[in-house]
Amino acid sequence: MFNQGGLSLDQAPPLSVVLRFFVTASIFGILLGLFLLLQSLNITTLSSYSTQLIVIHTLSLGVMASFMLGALFQMLPVLAGVVIKTPTTKAMMVHGLLTVGVLTQLFAFGISSNSLLYFLASAYLGSALFYAIYLMLKELIKIRTHSSSSKGILFALISLIFTVIFGVYLLLTEGGFINGIDFSQIKELHYSFALFGWVSLLIVSVSFQVIEMFYVTPSYPKSISKYLSVTILGLLLLKTILILFGYPTTLLTITITLLFLAYATVTIDRLTQRKRPVADATVWFWLLGMALFILSMTITLIGSFLTISSTLQHLSYIAFIGFTLSIVFAMIYKIVPFLTWFHLSNQGYMEAPMMHDVIHPKKAKIHFYIHVTTIFIWILTIKLTILGSLLLTISFSWLFYNLIFAIKKYVYTQKHCEKIEW
Amino acid sequence: MIISSYMRAEHRECDELFTSAEKSVIEGNFEQAEKQFLLFSNDTLTHFKKEEEALFPTFEEVTGSSEGPTRMMRYEHEQMRGLIGKMAGAIENKDKDAYLSIAESMMILLQQHNMKEEQMLYAMCDRTIPQDKKESIIETMKTIEL
Repeated sequence: MFNQGGLSLDQAPPLSVVLRFFVTASIFGILLGLFLLLQSLNITTLSSYSTQLIVIHTLSLGVMASFMLGALFQMLPVLAGVVIKTPTTKAMMVHGLLTVGVLTQLFAFGISSNSLLYFLASAYLGSALFYAIYLMLKELIKIRTHSSSSKGILFALISLIFTVIFGVYLLLTEGGFINGIDFSQIKELHYSFALFGWVSLLIVSVSFQVIEMFYVTPSYPKSISKYLSVTILGLLLLKTILILFGYPTTLLTITITLLFLAYATVTIDRLTQRKRPVADATVWFWLLGMALFILSMTITLIGSFLTISSTLQHLSYIAFIGFTLSIVFAMIYKIVPFLTWFHLSNQGYMEAPMMHDVIHPKKAKIHFYIHVTTIFIWILTIKLTILGSLLLTISFSWLFYNLIFAIKKYVYTQKHCEKIEW
Repeated sequence: MIISSYMRAEHRECDELFTSAEKSVIEGNFEQAEKQFLLFSNDTLTHFKKEEEALFPTFEEVTGSSEGPTRMMRYEHEQMRGLIGKMAGAIENKDKDAYLSIAESMMILLQQHNMKEEQMLYAMCDRTIPQDKKESIIETMKTIEL
């Protein structure tokens, strides 16, 4: 099967498909920052368990899942050569259900006695995510000759299936609908598939092509691009069996972390060998992301051998969050300016703004400085602080502003510039 | 895989020339940048011409279709020709920011185009075109000039 139109006019999804997810994700990011600010000022009366659940799921679903699903709607045609037909309607459905689902879930965690909210959250989130998985997987499995990226995305989506199944089980247990005998085991599997499978595998798969494409680097070694994602998924499936039958899984965790450490080291090596000399903030975001990934995986590795303090444990979480956000920001500052120019140019606007007019690299650099400071403060303090929360709010607000600026440029060009009919 | 290796080598040469021109623009050395850019645009446009005049027609003849992948590749060539023109204008005006901005779009467009060709189209050419014909295409391509 030939990818006839990765970026062709007919098959690239409209800009609104991607941007609705990105804008929503940055709003969730701002809300998260504000929530943490209230928490750091001791204004709310939530239990630490509820706070933890709210923070984790605003990040993983409101922010990350929105970013990643938006990016997938856009990138599947380019990276995997598959096209989702009528993407606008389908993306609207996924986006709507996901947003309502996340909000319902957050309220459920906040008002933990309300079982109806837990039920609604699992229904909305389950349908949003399963629908998105169905739309993408049914196209991906048709591919005859897979690239390392398309195969990796397929495995990331399979990991998401497990994440959602276990997540729904946990929500229904919290809501009192099922007795949840294996609650702690399922919880461990839920976050293993979410973090190592869905999030990490998706980043890994996308990087196999975009690092080379954006920065002109040598390709990844075949041993990594061909076998890493399938091995990680295999190990996660094995972990599921071992956990459910009560066997120890330390060896599997060690193997997974070692594999990711090798991947991150190779990625840094590839980026330092890039031929393009541009001192681009997106390269910095990638390098920072990989360094944080190495930090997080190293602590996880140490934790497999020794008992580590809760401070180190928290450092590992912060580093992992920093890793995922860095990569997401790196992608956005390439994708959004390019797509804005690309769509306008294909629509026949000869004066379509170039990438730097949509989001200037200086703006991306400013975001990088804010982001680095945010990570630095969180790593330094480990616990919740007013400064850390404030910086997180500023970081997402800056992204939100840049996205809105890009949208305004797009709309302005369509309204005021001359269009040539092909 | 003689088509793949010949064409892939040309892609890599164009990448080299692109990055050296970009480097000179970043350093503000427009005299050097102009020379390197000319090499890049010459090589890239000649490569497009080789595909459009020698490789694609043979592929279309063998597969019996001119509506498939080659049509899309020709369309993308046109898009990139437009960008090369704009890059030339930016070099002439010694406009660093404009050049880097257009170069950014060019690079993404070019790389995703190359990936599609290298991962799919060239492999299909190597599979479907008979060996003797492949050798004669390469000989023809070597003689094509801008």
